[in-house]
Amino acid sequence: MKIDEFMTTRIASIDGDRSVYDAIEKMVDRRIRSLLVKFTGRDSDHGVITARDVVFKVLAKGINPTDIKVSSIAARPIVCVDREVTLAEAATLMEKSHIARLFVCEGEKIIGVASLLDIMSASLIMRARGENVP
Amino acid sequence: MFLKKIFDYGKKEERVIENIKQHLELLCNACDSFHKAMEESDKNLVREVVESERQGDSIRREIIANIYAGAFLPYLRPDLCRFAEIVDRVFDSLQETAFSYLEVKLPEHIRDECVRVAFLNARMCEMLVISFDAMLNGEDLREKTLAIRIYEKKIDDIKFTIVKDLRQIPVDDFWQGRILAEFVSGLTSISDTMEDASDHLQIIGVSMKS
Repeated sequence: MKIDEFMTTRIASIDGDRSVYDAIEKMVDRRIRSLLVKFTGRDSDHGVITARDVVFKVLAKGINPTDIKVSSIAARPIVCVDREVTLAEAATLMEKSHIARLFVCEGEKIIGVASLLDIMSASLIMRARGENVP
Repeated sequence: MFLKKIFDYGKKEERVIENIKQHLELLCNACDSFHKAMEESDKNLVREVVESERQGDSIRREIIANIYAGAFLPYLRPDLCRFAEIVDRVFDSLQETAFSYLEVKLPEHIRDECVRVAFLNARMCEMLVISFDAMLNGEDLREKTLAIRIYEKKIDDIKFTIVKDLRQIPVDDFWQGRILAEFVSGLTSISDTMEDASDHLQIIGVSMKS
């Protein structure tokens, strides 16, 4: 199964200049665990902020999330793959790079994101279809 | 074949099974046509959905008639009929959605998500066919129904984002808004009914084994 079949196509994003509080609000409101971070003036430069970053780098350290910018805790650069990448290749890359999500890109355009949960779901679908699961 | 082992597998049963398979395959063709219609913005393909719905109606009547003409043991008949009726409800929802598609002015920024839902509906239907075949072979349907639930959940998540976006879309008049709302609601509810069909299939599988 190719990554474009199980990726999520609607990607929520936030500007790097916004506060971590804004990011928390957006993630909770949309029931998601990460946001694509856009940096002002650099269209092709992106980062990612996850719930894990928020909890470990801000809340656990007792920092007020309104006092810290998203850009200062976002991970960058993001890891992009082609839409033709298979589930097995995606899982291997995530394991090697120690990341929980892969962005799917066409040129400089981000067209989707696949998380660990998407990979697990896709593997269950492949099993049910009787396909070879890595 | 599983049914063959358990029942006196006569011509009537064989005909019902063939009809149910045909019914499901027709539904998958209709889902594919609708996905293609949306992907290629080709509203002519909607005719194929309508035609499939008409054929599906006739197959459903044949299934029920054959069942009540004596196919299968009496305790299984209501469940098999119910399954055919649920599949027919999927046809109805698909046709209604296809009709709304002819009328709707689909905003560009929700278009891709709607096409994705149509694609996932088609994949879900394929899984329903796989489940039916697995049930006939007496296999455990646990993995198959889980796969269907995963598709349904994925569609539900997309629905959440589309509905959120819909609230921001300005409409010129009441009817434009209503058609758009009906289209989105119809498109995202097809998977609910397919999930019902899958759940019912599991029930039939369990009754056949007991």
